[in-house]
Amino acid sequence: MMEQNKLSPFIAEFNGVSLRYPGSPEVLKDIHFALTPGSFHFMTGESGAGKTSLLSLLYLHHEPTRGRIRLFGQATDTLSRSAKAQIRRQIGVVFQDFRLLEHLNAFDNVALPLRLCGEKESDIRKHVSEMLTWVGLEKQMKAFPNALSGGEQQRIAIARAVIHKPALLLADEPTGNVDDAMAKRLLYLFLELNKLGTTVVVATHNEGLIKSFNFPQLHLANNHLKIIPPSEKYSDMTAKLFKREVKNG
Amino acid sequence: MAKKSEFLFSKSSTRFFLPWMCALMVFIATLISAGGIVISHSLASWQRGVSSSLTVQIPTYDSQGLPRGDAVSQDLEQALTLLRTAPGVLGATILNNAEMAELMSPWLGTDAAINELPLPKLIDVSIDTATKPMLERLKSELNDVVPSAVLDSHRIWLDDLITLSNGILNLIAFVLLMLLTTVAITVIYTTKSSLSIQQSIISLVHMMGAKDLYITLKYSMYSFKYAFWGSFIGFVLAIPVMLGLVVFLKSVSTFMFQASLTHLEWLALISIPVGMAALAFCTTFYTVQRYLKKFL
Repeated sequence: MMEQNKLSPFIAEFNGVSLRYPGSPEVLKDIHFALTPGSFHFMTGESGAGKTSLLSLLYLHHEPTRGRIRLFGQATDTLSRSAKAQIRRQIGVVFQDFRLLEHLNAFDNVALPLRLCGEKESDIRKHVSEMLTWVGLEKQMKAFPNALSGGEQQRIAIARAVIHKPALLLADEPTGNVDDAMAKRLLYLFLELNKLGTTVVVATHNEGLIKSFNFPQLHLANNHLKIIPPSEKYSDMTAKLFKREVKNG
Repeated sequence: MAKKSEFLFSKSSTRFFLPWMCALMVFIATLISAGGIVISHSLASWQRGVSSSLTVQIPTYDSQGLPRGDAVSQDLEQALTLLRTAPGVLGATILNNAEMAELMSPWLGTDAAINELPLPKLIDVSIDTATKPMLERLKSELNDVVPSAVLDSHRIWLDDLITLSNGILNLIAFVLLMLLTTVAITVIYTTKSSLSIQQSIISLVHMMGAKDLYITLKYSMYSFKYAFWGSFIGFVLAIPVMLGLVVFLKSVSTFMFQASLTHLEWLALISIPVGMAALAFCTTFYTVQRYLKKFL
């Protein structure tokens, strides 16, 4: 995992960030928030509220039109291309449309982040096999994405996002194609990673999950961000966790 | 489990188009380069042969076949006087019988009785290569003084031949430049086409933290591999054609064409397919680097 800048206590910090696509009005306006290491947030909001755009700012796919983003303590607007690549290696992303490579089998899709980091093939074989077993797809190791169901593809996408133990995991509607039972199972998988220190942001519409897990929400409405704390009545544990973050932050 | 590339090169036009184009270009480039080397050799040989001397002939028999007697000596004296004072001429000497015999030995053998043959007297004229004499003017002045004298004019047509050969060499250089430009432009377009097809893959691996150099080298090595194989085939096909031409030129004239290559020149020819593949590598590298700038 990336060594965080010792001067900054945050994994990600947004100060007055706005985003506008060419020829369109601003999709995000004056966003302020910070993610402490090891935190877990849901990102909520109506369709088109800007959740995917906000996530894309977090994984450096877009640059803000205004404001400043700091990731791992470094201002992103001052980073070299090589430094940005290093930061991206610390981020795992689960895309809404999975974005699996159709010409690679499940094993090679999951192995991709490790290969990009230059890991040894023997280590890759071991870690990828373990990961595929963890997500229950050890028998589909050689299967190509088009031979897998939506739920299986989703689990491959998640396995790929977490295989390199990222410091920050961003998941865009990761439970959109699976039933409630599988959705909960995947969330527990994220929770396990979170317990190991990974900061997690999950964009979702699934009210059931939000209530069940009761983590703080980054709620987008009218292009602005509001932080909704976890509800006391749902879970004492997550509420305490959030209070601790507020205290630290 | 075999490692498979994340890039989908099997759909790239590079794989189908680049080897054939490189094969054709290297075939042509090898042949015209070899031709250029042969012309350069011949040119150097011609220039060595004609650069420092001229020959003037004074006939010893008249047009009726009768000996000219003392008139020959008079003509020789007058011609020598004119030649020795002409600008650009360093010296003029009459070839003696021994020198004539040596000169004629390839045709008449070493035992020929030169005195008994109706051969003209020859004057060997050394010229200053830095300030060459005006040959047409010298010829005219010589004929005014000695109407029967013949200024050997091979230099004039060799000068024209040398000019023509230099022109051909320049043309070869231009054609080679055009071939290289064509390869570079083709590589740029096939690479751009491949990048466009694989945009989603590149975007994904870029987001996963792939560095520009990683992506660029994958593409460049791919181009190099296919360009090299194509170039190698083109070169192998060019060798028998080239050797056939060498044999043909040698059979036509060993004087006109110095149709043999040194080890260094063979090495230069072998460097053509390698150079073509290197050009494909560098062009792809540059194209991909530029393309990646569109990603943050």
